[in-house]
Amino acid sequence: MRVKKSVILAFLVAVGILLQLLESFVGIFMIVPGYKIGLANIAGLFALYMYDEKSLAYVSLLRIFLSSLMQGMLFSVSFWLSLSGGILACIAMILAYRSKAFSIYGVSILGASFHNIGQVIAITWIYQQYFMQLFLPILLALSIVSGILIAVVCRKVLDRLSGGNYGKI
Amino acid sequence: MKKADKILIVCIMIVAVVLCVPLFFSKNENAYASVYVKEKQVLRIDLSKDKTYVVNGKLGKVHIEVKQKKVRVTQEKSPHHYCSKQGYVSDANVPIVCLPNETVVKIEKEASQDTVIQ
Repeated sequence: MRVKKSVILAFLVAVGILLQLLESFVGIFMIVPGYKIGLANIAGLFALYMYDEKSLAYVSLLRIFLSSLMQGMLFSVSFWLSLSGGILACIAMILAYRSKAFSIYGVSILGASFHNIGQVIAITWIYQQYFMQLFLPILLALSIVSGILIAVVCRKVLDRLSGGNYGKI
Repeated sequence: MKKADKILIVCIMIVAVVLCVPLFFSKNENAYASVYVKEKQVLRIDLSKDKTYVVNGKLGKVHIEVKQKKVRVTQEKSPHHYCSKQGYVSDANVPIVCLPNETVVKIEKEASQDTVIQ
């Protein structure tokens, strides 16, 4: 059972890395710089609901490290942005999950918005400038959309895997 | 979707709108004016405070007044009083030059660098 779980978590990390790389190729930055849907969070959210909070932390942190290593940007600025956003998103999602007040949609939206907040904090800290805060309201509004999108995808996958009776969401 | 989710969405929307509000009030916040006499900086004025300053020019005292983030020269000794006639200045590209007193009042925005985001 432990082996099975760790293998599945490794697969989830791989899925997350792939989604993150794909997303960086496509580049859907429209008007707002720095905006991403955050498809890679599907893997983390899935791990959270399939297993537990620890799996979420493993999957998303490993995914951040490995995908930036594969893009050749380990310990660069974008890595630190990704890491700070990822850690904050993990904490927010775990707290929301534990509180049991939110469904998968709420957890996902909280993760997306706190990812943005973490990134903006990291940018202001690294560049010592406040220009990125201009985009924070827009990013927060867009994070609702991307959070719902990811929750829908994740819920579909969970439904399929549990034979259509994933009741507790 | 539970009720808490909908409340959360509304809350985030409200936060996003509220965060927009200070952006409209925070223009020109870090503006400073520098006063040069004989090409040496003698005074650095914060434009967010309304106050009057006095500088010793070549021919006498130069009185500088700051009001509502604008700066002007109120009194000075010179033949034509060009710089006090110039009135309030709030543009960084328009300095107040008082040539007989060898005094220049110049607005300087907080040094801003171009940044590159990967």
